[in-house]
Amino acid sequence: MLEIKNLHAGIDGKTILNGIDLTIKPGELHAIMGRNGSGKSTLANIITGRENYEVSSGTVNFNGDNILDISPENRALNGIFMSFQYPVVIPGVNNTYFLRAALNSKLKHHGLKEVNAADFMRLIREKLKLVEMDEKYLSRAVNDGFSGGEKKRNEILQMLTLEPQLSILDETDSGLDIDALKIVAEGVNNFRNKERSFLAITHYQRLLDYMKPDYVHVLINGKIVKSGDMTLAHELEEKGYSWLEA
Amino acid sequence: MKQFQEQFDELLEYWPDEDSSLRDLRLKAFNKFKELGLPNKKWEEWQFTDFSSINKLNFRLSKDSDLPTLPKTIPGRISNSYIIFIVNGHYQPQLSEIPSSVSIATGLEHFRSNPELYSINNSSNPFLSLNTSMMNSGLPIYIKDNAIIEKPIQVVYLTTKISDELMNHPRFSFNAGENSESTIIEQYIGSTSNSYFINAVTQVNIEKNAKLNHVRIQEDDQMSHHTACTYYTLNKSSILNSTSISSGSQLYRHNIKLSLNDESADATLNGLSLTKDSQHHDQHVIVDHNSDACHSNQLFKYILSDKSSGVFNGRVIVRESTKQTDANQSNKNLLLSPHSLMNANPQLEIYAEDVKCSHGSTTGQIDSEALFYLRSRGISKEKAIELIVGGFAEDILENIKNDDLKTFLSKNIFSWLKGTLKNE
Repeated sequence: MLEIKNLHAGIDGKTILNGIDLTIKPGELHAIMGRNGSGKSTLANIITGRENYEVSSGTVNFNGDNILDISPENRALNGIFMSFQYPVVIPGVNNTYFLRAALNSKLKHHGLKEVNAADFMRLIREKLKLVEMDEKYLSRAVNDGFSGGEKKRNEILQMLTLEPQLSILDETDSGLDIDALKIVAEGVNNFRNKERSFLAITHYQRLLDYMKPDYVHVLINGKIVKSGDMTLAHELEEKGYSWLEA
Repeated sequence: MKQFQEQFDELLEYWPDEDSSLRDLRLKAFNKFKELGLPNKKWEEWQFTDFSSINKLNFRLSKDSDLPTLPKTIPGRISNSYIIFIVNGHYQPQLSEIPSSVSIATGLEHFRSNPELYSINNSSNPFLSLNTSMMNSGLPIYIKDNAIIEKPIQVVYLTTKISDELMNHPRFSFNAGENSESTIIEQYIGSTSNSYFINAVTQVNIEKNAKLNHVRIQEDDQMSHHTACTYYTLNKSSILNSTSISSGSQLYRHNIKLSLNDESADATLNGLSLTKDSQHHDQHVIVDHNSDACHSNQLFKYILSDKSSGVFNGRVIVRESTKQTDANQSNKNLLLSPHSLMNANPQLEIYAEDVKCSHGSTTGQIDSEALFYLRSRGISKEKAIELIVGGFAEDILENIKNDDLKTFLSKNIFSWLKGTLKNE
């Protein structure tokens, strides 16, 4: 599904990724762990198409197509989603309106009938229950007045609504208390199936304990220095990162 | 200045039998206008706007013969509202509809019973003097005491099918009687390919315990010039909700003065200016707290595209020995183009101690984080920009409770956005 080969990239003339190789197959959940500044978020930003990043070499293929020259919206329409580390507040834009616009954009792209407001409300109420979110957040502006935890639930709500093939969870655990973490992790777990893939970016094993990744990768200075399974995450929790640094 | 003198002389000839005290007022006002002249760069309160183009055009006053064949439908109609229709300065009572709790007087009647409202002694605003000398249209409108009028009263001031460069000096007076509740929409629309000049003065008086929603919509033609003064006087425990939305004219200057004259008056002043091409919008707001326990809240937003420019000058004055004043002022500007320009100057003048005040001004571009966020959800760049800019603008309508009016304004804003963003 996602195939990254020898990716070198950076921003403002500074190199951050130094040759990333990563393949994620349908149904797999991969975790990337690393210190601040190791390049985790840069990788997520490049996959989703954020502007201003420069790719100097390497390829990122999604379902066989090179996506590096495709707009962020087209990547999203083709099935890539990111749960933001810092979800953005958009004043004056109603959350429900935004969610429906996003879903309808996707339905339209796939030649499907758009949902009307009433049907969408039925759908979204079901999804709200899955992340235990209060309905009042639907009538607010996007992320406006949401606590850190509510913002993250709103991200997962969007994931459940848009049903992407590849979901990138960029530090979805940060700013969550243990109860919220469980709810978010369960939301993700219930959404998993053999078609859908995930890339979870995190500092801690906490989230991974709930999600049980198939692979764990350690990113240091823009390179994956070690890959393994959940035992690697436990090892990191115990020993830190220094034993992997050359 | 020559053409103004000619037009003034013609006006005196055109109405030879006019009331002598009104005539004296006109003469006095015109002399003051000549003495002041049009504002130039040296005038501190006017320095960011170039008024010289008003002098270059040969505007002439609208006459009875300038009443065109009337349009079959009144443009810009808001559903479920009363209507007062004025075309090229000529009131059309046969096409107007007002409720029984509203009355309309003549300008002369209003002048005779309220001569103090026509005094120009304390003003150095040349456009007030010019209006007073040439006032030729507009109406005094009275809302009766205790009247609760649910449907808005829409005043459409249309300029259409003009053959040469017309000018009009509308003089409106809106009087909300004690305990009354009403909504007045003062709407300027242009539908012509000629240049013209509107120089309006509107005096709004809100009596004890009355509540007035005043919406001013300026959609004059892009070729036009529009200058305006709006004066609000709030009496004890009265409430004003004022919303001003402007998207018309190549040059627009609006002076707003709000006087909180008796205790516990509450005023909200919201404004939205939408400019494109080389339009220039200049708004100058003075909020004068001269009584106790009054509250004022200002929010002025500008959205500027192309080479357009904007000026916001907001001043809050809290007079000595007033108590429990709560005054907020906020100005937010969104530049859609690297060639657009905004000048903002919020000021506070506080001479009292028991005061809660805040003010601030920000000018920026579309938030690239917000844009990426929406795009990452599969929303196209164009649609995402429309959502963000629309969200920025819609804030201004928060105080509009009437659904028909809100829908109307919202549609107008979005149609402007769609038309403008296409070209950015």
